[in-house]
Amino acid sequence: MSIILSLNSISKRYGAIQALGGVSFSIPEGSVFGILGPNGSGKTTLLGIVTDVLKADSGSFTLFGQAPSAVQRQKIGTLLETPNFYHYLSARNNLKVVAAIKRQSEADIPRVLDLVGLAARQHSAFKTYSLGMKQRLAIAAALLGDPQVLILDEPTNGLDPEGIAEIRTLIRTLATQGKTIIMASHLLDEVEKVCTHVAILRKGELLSSGPVNTVMAREDFIEIGSADVQALTRLIQQHPAFEKVLPNGNNLLHVTFNHAIDPAALNTWCAEQGVWLSHLQIRRKSLETAFLELTNN
Amino acid sequence: MLNIIKIEWLKVKYYRTFWIFLGLAVLIIPAVNAIVQDVNSRIPKQIQQALGRSIYDFPIVWQTVAYVSSFTTVIFGFLLLTLVTNEFSFKTHRQHVIDGWERRELVLSKLFWVVAFSVIALLVSALTAAYFGAVYGKESFSLEGFRFLFYYFLQVMLSLCLALLLGVLVKRTGLAIVLYLAYVMVLEQLVVMTLKRFVGDIGGLMPLQTADELLPLPVVDKLVPLAGPLDTYVYLTALLAYIGLSLWWVFHKMLRTDL
Repeated sequence: MSIILSLNSISKRYGAIQALGGVSFSIPEGSVFGILGPNGSGKTTLLGIVTDVLKADSGSFTLFGQAPSAVQRQKIGTLLETPNFYHYLSARNNLKVVAAIKRQSEADIPRVLDLVGLAARQHSAFKTYSLGMKQRLAIAAALLGDPQVLILDEPTNGLDPEGIAEIRTLIRTLATQGKTIIMASHLLDEVEKVCTHVAILRKGELLSSGPVNTVMAREDFIEIGSADVQALTRLIQQHPAFEKVLPNGNNLLHVTFNHAIDPAALNTWCAEQGVWLSHLQIRRKSLETAFLELTNN
Repeated sequence: MLNIIKIEWLKVKYYRTFWIFLGLAVLIIPAVNAIVQDVNSRIPKQIQQALGRSIYDFPIVWQTVAYVSSFTTVIFGFLLLTLVTNEFSFKTHRQHVIDGWERRELVLSKLFWVVAFSVIALLVSALTAAYFGAVYGKESFSLEGFRFLFYYFLQVMLSLCLALLLGVLVKRTGLAIVLYLAYVMVLEQLVVMTLKRFVGDIGGLMPLQTADELLPLPVVDKLVPLAGPLDTYVYLTALLAYIGLSLWWVFHKMLRTDL
């Protein structure tokens, strides 16, 4: 599997703020690669450098294994930050401009407008569009010419729940076609649902990168509750397979064990010790919990 | 370059503001010349005879029209500033690079308009001069003195290069237009006046003043020496240097900084 994008010690500073500090990682072909991080962590700066709208202070990167160039950018569908179009032009005419820059045929415009559900409004001026429609047009522009690589920065920004679901489905469909999708997001739910790989940034530093399940180990845990939570807490720590109690905001305990536990056996064991469970469920640690653990360390 | 021109055409084809501005910039050239001709026709015959030839006789008509037209260049400047700052307002300059333009193509796309507007201004003024010379002049057609229209062409080029630079540096449409107007109408004149009074002829070497020195008022021409205090080639060289310097600055800015 070849490498689509390889970053080598990219650094960028805005005055006193270190936006990126020596970030290096590689994005394999065919992956849905999430670049994760809180607001201000450097995600958009990183993608801005890759697309040549920002200049790195130091470091280098390669695209498709070669030094970056404008011709390579023509082969990548990119949505960076906000949808940028001429307000006075219709969606269709805006896409003609994009097609000419990307040296793609205008014949592909109806297909992409149809994909994002804007065919009916293609002759309306961009300035008359809602935020969600503008975002859809930006996605349509990125899809022009059916590029093998897509860079999507917060692709579901401004979309309603239906639109978010549609874009997720679209991203999954594109991924099954073997396309490489590089997606920056602070919405973990979004990443959890579509990404195969992640890189995690915090304050411009790369915390970790690789396949999702390797970067963010998410072991199963068991959620239990009883009338006397304190008694249950004391008891569960005596269980032979007990590992730890995960932090949790409510009155239920999130417990991990050092091997898989049969819920029925756990229920019986607790009852034998005189504590009756009122709640018992096997759960998987959310990506959010894993992410917070990683970024808070 | 053909693809760049095609893309610029797609941007302006349905842009009403562009066509209104362009129509205005083109029509104002014969219109202002017609007004000046009308005023000139009211000058008593005795004075006209004392001045010698009519300002609409060939070859003086080239200079007359070039001089009058040079006052309308600011409209082309507004049009160019609008096109340049639109890209920053809509952030399409970023998107073009993201989509696969070289940064220098951003500059070339606007340089195309600088040249296009300059050529349009030259053609309209040349046709206007030919028409006024034929209708209001008494001498037969002659291309002698056409160099004044070439100076006018350079004046438009320089004004537009300065507008391009201002647009790239300021980025905001309203502010850029106000600053441009202030510079063209007042600020440079103030500097020229001050320099000429306290330093000397070097005041004539301020950017737009170089073109003004190359395009003197034709009637006064008869009464005072033809050329400015410095040699024509000095003004021409300075003018071309200002064009080169402003373009260098624009490229330097657009190629190196964050967009």
